[in-house]
Amino acid sequence: MGKVFDPVLIIEFIPTLIKYLGITLEILVYSTMLGTLIGIVAAIPKLFHIPVLKQMITLYISFIRGTPILIQLFLVYYGLPAILMLWNIDITRMDALYFVIITYSLSNGAIFAEIFRGAISAIDYGQTEAAYSIGMTRFQSFSRIIFPQSIRIAFPNISNSIIGSLKDTSLAFTIGVMDMMGRGETLIASTAHALEVYISLAIVYYIVVVILEKVFKISERYLNRYQPNETATI
Amino acid sequence: MTIDFPFIWIAFKELLKAAPLTLTLTFVPVIIGFFIGLSVAMIRAYNLKFLSRIANGYVSFFRGTPAIMHIMLIYFGIPLLLDILIDYFHLRIQSNSIPIVLFVIIALSLTAGSYLSEIIRSGISSVSKGQTEAAYAIGMNTFQVVKRIILPQALAQSIPNFTNLIIGFLHTTSIAFLVSQKEITGAANIIASKNLKFLEAFIAAGLLYWIITAIIEAVSYVVEKKAKAYTNSAI
Repeated sequence: MGKVFDPVLIIEFIPTLIKYLGITLEILVYSTMLGTLIGIVAAIPKLFHIPVLKQMITLYISFIRGTPILIQLFLVYYGLPAILMLWNIDITRMDALYFVIITYSLSNGAIFAEIFRGAISAIDYGQTEAAYSIGMTRFQSFSRIIFPQSIRIAFPNISNSIIGSLKDTSLAFTIGVMDMMGRGETLIASTAHALEVYISLAIVYYIVVVILEKVFKISERYLNRYQPNETATI
Repeated sequence: MTIDFPFIWIAFKELLKAAPLTLTLTFVPVIIGFFIGLSVAMIRAYNLKFLSRIANGYVSFFRGTPAIMHIMLIYFGIPLLLDILIDYFHLRIQSNSIPIVLFVIIALSLTAGSYLSEIIRSGISSVSKGQTEAAYAIGMNTFQVVKRIILPQALAQSIPNFTNLIIGFLHTTSIAFLVSQKEITGAANIIASKNLKFLEAFIAAGLLYWIITAIIEAVSYVVEKKAKAYTNSAI
């Protein structure tokens, strides 16, 4: 500390920090896309009860849900190079950003897998029976009847976890990635105005989250357009 | 680089000593946050004029910014505020004599409060209106209705969400190491850099977190069964 609190600096820091918002969003977008892929692949063995694979997926999901993202980040950062070294592939000089994206994809994948599985099993079995009875194949009933309905159910959870992982990206700086938080840390090192930097960071994160929430709310309304209005209690 | 398996066990035993701090940082904020969340949820449910605006702002801000931000803001902000107050009143205490743990607990309690208020609110809205009407019909007042009818049902409904939140907070405490707290992650970092065995130390830390999570899940399963013993759900 030692320096006087200067509210003007809060405004002055924001443009510097916003330049690095791109990296934060890059981590978010790539990890969400890869996470969705992993999630779909991981949900299949649990839905169709494929032996062995199902147990492995359960273990994977349980591990991801059972350990902090920070520990996962360190495990990937130190562990992945060690594993790939067995095949003589050297990735120790790879940009830390890729390790962050890999970690967040794996973490999102486990969470998405659970969300997808929950959403698909929430669809009434009568829907499948009805689809079969009008002569649809198994694939058709899944892609035309079950899947579109489950997206609607999964969407609120997915949007929540995307917002959650945006906030988790703020931990990427611990392995030396220059995202918004990382830039904030260097600003603190150079100006010694820690509180001001953190306030402006909080403002930027808050604005991004508010925008994301608005976008998700509109998309949710679009997905629910055929749903009857439910009355809320209290 | 090979993995030194015996060292994982050594590190694990070392990390167990740091587990009490992690558990304190998890449960104290969740308990304080529960009361914050309960009052905020009540303020929002009954739409108290001015207060509900503040409550909305509080929930929205704390849910919209990362927990690390709250820890840092409180860690740097409160001493500054205190210094001003101490100067003003000429007190003889010093702000840097306050243990950092206290700042972490304050920050995490505020974070937990915002998340818990949303959980409790969704629990309250899952109790059907008929319950409230029936309670009023037999002559209960608002306080009785909330205490005897709405809250017991709402809280029983929210147990899975509470479990998720407690586990989430167990994991959030790992960022307390950034303000030099010696909880599991902080201890793992120290062991790792002392022995230059990063992977092993973090594997041990991961295992320890995993075990604690499994225990919390098992306990919540039992509690949920007890709390829902009198409700017969359709499924």
